[in-house]
Parts: sequence; structure tokens; C-alpha cells
Amino acid sequence: MGLISRSGSFTRYLADGTLPEEFMEILSEKVARYSFRILDEKSIDERSVGWVNIMDIFDNRFAGLEFLKEPYITMALRVDERKVPATALKQYCLEAEENIKKEENLEYLPKSRRSDIKDGVRLRLMKRAIPVSKTYDMIWNYSTSLVVFGCTANRLCDEFMEIFLQTFDIQLQAFYPYTLAGRFLEKEGTPAELLDGLNPMNFSQEK
Amino acid sequence: MQLSEKVKETQFLGREFLLWLWFRAETERGHFDMGKKGTAEIWFDDKLTLQSENERGIETIICAGEATNMREARFALAGNKEVVQAAVKLLIGDNQWSFVLDSTWLNFSSFKTPKVMMDRQDDPDGIFYEKMFLIEEAISAIDVIYSSFIKLRLSPEWTDQERPALVKWISEGKDSAAD
Repeated sequence: MGLISRSGSFTRYLADGTLPEEFMEILSEKVARYSFRILDEKSIDERSVGWVNIMDIFDNRFAGLEFLKEPYITMALRVDERKVPATALKQYCLEAEENIKKEENLEYLPKSRRSDIKDGVRLRLMKRAIPVSKTYDMIWNYSTSLVVFGCTANRLCDEFMEIFLQTFDIQLQAFYPYTLAGRFLEKEGTPAELLDGLNPMNFSQEK
Repeated sequence: MQLSEKVKETQFLGREFLLWLWFRAETERGHFDMGKKGTAEIWFDDKLTLQSENERGIETIICAGEATNMREARFALAGNKEVVQAAVKLLIGDNQWSFVLDSTWLNFSSFKTPKVMMDRQDDPDGIFYEKMFLIEEAISAIDVIYSSFIKLRLSPEWTDQERPALVKWISEGKDSAAD
């Protein structure tokens, strides 16, 4: 509960489209389908992303409607990542290459063989790597269509938009100065196309 | 024209908005009419990021701290640099927020709301609703101010009054830094 409990950064979006009538009935099912799955120690996945309870990052069950605080839908996107440190990978690869050269009485290993060794070492070390968890709050006011996501990093924001679409079948619109201005104008009955005629101010010509 | 092209071609709106906000904050003590909610006051919180693009690439300067550095920011403005990030404080009634606004997305970073005075044990949902009210209140205030800027930017008043005043203010920044 980053954004709710302390200071943070956020990006806002507009949830485009109206909610279907049965939306609340199937909400738990939709969310549960994309809930967070813990990285299995035996798996070789580097990353896992999914929804968790905004109040408890270990709760990914979504059995009830605890994430519904009318008129808000509140969840957190949990991202677990594990990485093999580059220096450790290099070190273990060198060790493995030396062992193979000794065992097979070889002076040099071809590039393809070294690449296979690297893949094998990476997989072995990946199972020992400890994942780092981060969570990013998502608060969706479905009465105003405003969605607040507790992150400003472009890559993760793009991923969030994709997961939101997969989960709710609703496309998010990012806010830019242009789209925000267009919304204001349309609300007042002024065509947003007026913005297309604007050019940047050039102060240097006037100084 | 595709939306993505329009967005790209109008990116200057965000930069001009931050510049105008700074100009208004310095020249009119940053008071903005919020309609039924009264007045919001904005002031720049001594941290600004400015950028310019030339044949050598993008040049960025960050001015932070004392008022002296803000004079340097004004000087940079006169040297064709544009405001791309600004730390601002927002005051509505007794409530004060602080955050960094960016020009590309109008995102909020380092966002701090007024303190929520509720006991988490007694009413966890109450804290959530109070906090959401405060987040949405700040978003709404910035939207209202941005909306006023857009209306002004599209009006004849912009060319006749606001723009000349803004140009004058920028020039004064160069002079005061030279003093």
C-alpha cells in the first residue's frame, strides 16, 4: 500500500468504455485469473507479475470482493524479479569451462559450446537467486473512470496498461497534455481540433 | 493526423504550462480560482529542471535550493531553456500538498498529501477514503488550473496580454541574474 500509506509517484489514466452490467459479478474471477503467482524455486522464470491485495502483498487469492471499496477498485501490481549477478555468472562460467577442458582434454572451447555452458550455468544459478519484490498500487475510480497507478517508469506503465486490458477487457488511455486539453475542451462543447492549430511559443524571437 | 502524432507535436503544451504556472506563481502569488471549492494557491518549491535541445543534443540543468538558484533558473529560461519538471506546493484551505509535476505526462512524482489524522486500527477503510479524497483533490486542482491555461492559450487574450507579460517576465529574469 505504497501510495495510500506514504508519499509516492503516480501516473493517471482514463479507463475507456462503459462497464458491462454483470461486471461486478465476474470481477473476482477476472482479477483472480491475473493474480500474482509466486516464482517457483524449481522454475527458471526470471520474473512474475500479477495482482495482489493492496493491503497485503502476500494475499493473491481474491476470493471475495475485498478489493472493492465503492466507487474504487483497489489492487497492487506485484512484480517479483530474480537476476543472476553478471560477475557471478562470469566466474561460474569460467570455472565450468575449465572443468570441461580438463575432463575432455581440450585446449579451446568453440563459441557455441561456451554459449551452451553459459545457458546451463545461468539456469543453475537462477534457481538459487532470491527474487526481489516490488508492488505498485492501482486505484480505479469506476464512477469517474480515473485510474491511478503508483509508478512513473515508462516500461512498467506500458506493462500495467497491457495487464489492465487483459484483466478487465478495458483499454486505458494515458494522459498527455494534448489529450487532457482535448477532454476539457470537449466538456465545454469546444472542438478539440482547435488545439491542432497551436504552435509553440518562440520567445527568443521577441527578446 | 494520428493521435500519436498530435501528442508528439503538442508536447510543448506541458512545458508551456509549467512555465506559465511559474510565471503566475511569481507574479500573482499563484492564486487560482477553483469555483465552488474556493481558491488554490501554488508556489514553486525551489527545484526546477530545465532543458534545451540543440545540435549537440539535449542539455539539462537542475536548479535546486535557495532563491539564488531560482535566479539561475530564470536566467536559463532567458537562454531558451524550457521547464520540464517543477517541484510545487499546492494549498487549498488548510490542506497542503507537495509534488513534482512533469511536462510530458503531467505526472505526479514525490507526491505528499496532508497528513491523514485517523487511526488505522479503528477504521482502515476510513484512511483509504481520506487518502483517496486528498489524491483526487490535488489531481482535480491541477486539472482545473491546466484547463484555465488551455482556455487562455486559445484566446485572443493570450496574444494581447498574457504572452507579452510572460516575455517581459522572462527578460527581467535575465537582467536580475546579471545584477
